Amino acid sequence: MDESTPPPPPAELSPPPVPSTVPSGSPTDFLKGVVGKRVVVRLTSGVDYRGVLSCLDGYMNIALEQTEEHVNGVVTNRYGDAFIRGNNVLYISAAEAI
Amino acid sequence: MLIFSVFKTLTDQQVTVELKNDLSITGVLKSVDQFLNIRLDNIKVLDEARHPHMMAVKNCFIRGSVVRYVQLPPESVDTQLLEDATRRESAAQTKR
Amino acid sequence: MDTSSAIQEPFDLIRLSLSERVFVKLRGDRELSGILHAYDGHMNLILSDVEETILIVDQADGAGEGQPTVNMAKRKMDMLFVRGDGVILVSPPSR
Repeated sequence: MDESTPPPPPAELSPPPVPSTVPSGSPTDFLKGVVGKRVVVRLTSGVDYRGVLSCLDGYMNIALEQTEEHVNGVVTNRYGDAFIRGNNVLYISAAEAI
Repeated sequence: MLIFSVFKTLTDQQVTVELKNDLSITGVLKSVDQFLNIRLDNIKVLDEARHPHMMAVKNCFIRGSVVRYVQLPPESVDTQLLEDATRRESAAQTKR
Repeated sequence: MDTSSAIQEPFDLIRLSLSERVFVKLRGDRELSGILHAYDGHMNLILSDVEETILIVDQADGAGEGQPTVNMAKRKMDMLFVRGDGVILVSPPSR
């Protein structure tokens, strides 16, 4: 371990670049921000669902609109509405500026 | 709770339980609990050739978590009643 | 009221599908089409007039050689309870 105290961050340096479209904040803030936006939902199986996020709950159950199912980059199904059971969700990614 | 109640109304009826390991067992539903564990009597395995060790088994307890499907006797299920009960339960949960 | 903006939580989507034909995608390459009569918070379902499609992918041995052949097995069931833990996706009929 390093006994010396770490040097204070140089004050003259600019803060790390954060794209202005990405708000800083908690995961909850992110989820609130993406409701109504286009998202990619990846399941643990590797299947992607691209659509407009209608809403979600604490289990990460998800309601999507205008959903496309992508397997290995190929569209394999389209759904007007889709309910995804939360336990299958690996991540939710914003597909447009939030 | 709703589904538990449905299964309770189906006791003493013939059902077919399909497990996640593809084993299908038909029998008389003797009892069910809140985890949807199931006790079957008078059982018969659908594909006995594939599961010869089940031939001597007359009744069984099935852990709820290993169930994939249960085929129910359609004449014993009041679908209108089910839909109304489902709406009531979902309304009760949303209010919390 | 019956626009999609009436959906406030994901389960609303399922509630609005009661007594309608729904598409259900399950673990193990299984798909169901059936009329939805009941569900609960685990996504346990009770469906009637169900058609199940099982996709059997025969992975041809040999790396990157040829397409895997996909076989479909179908069967029908009158009244079916589906345990929620196998559910991946439920899609209501398009409105």
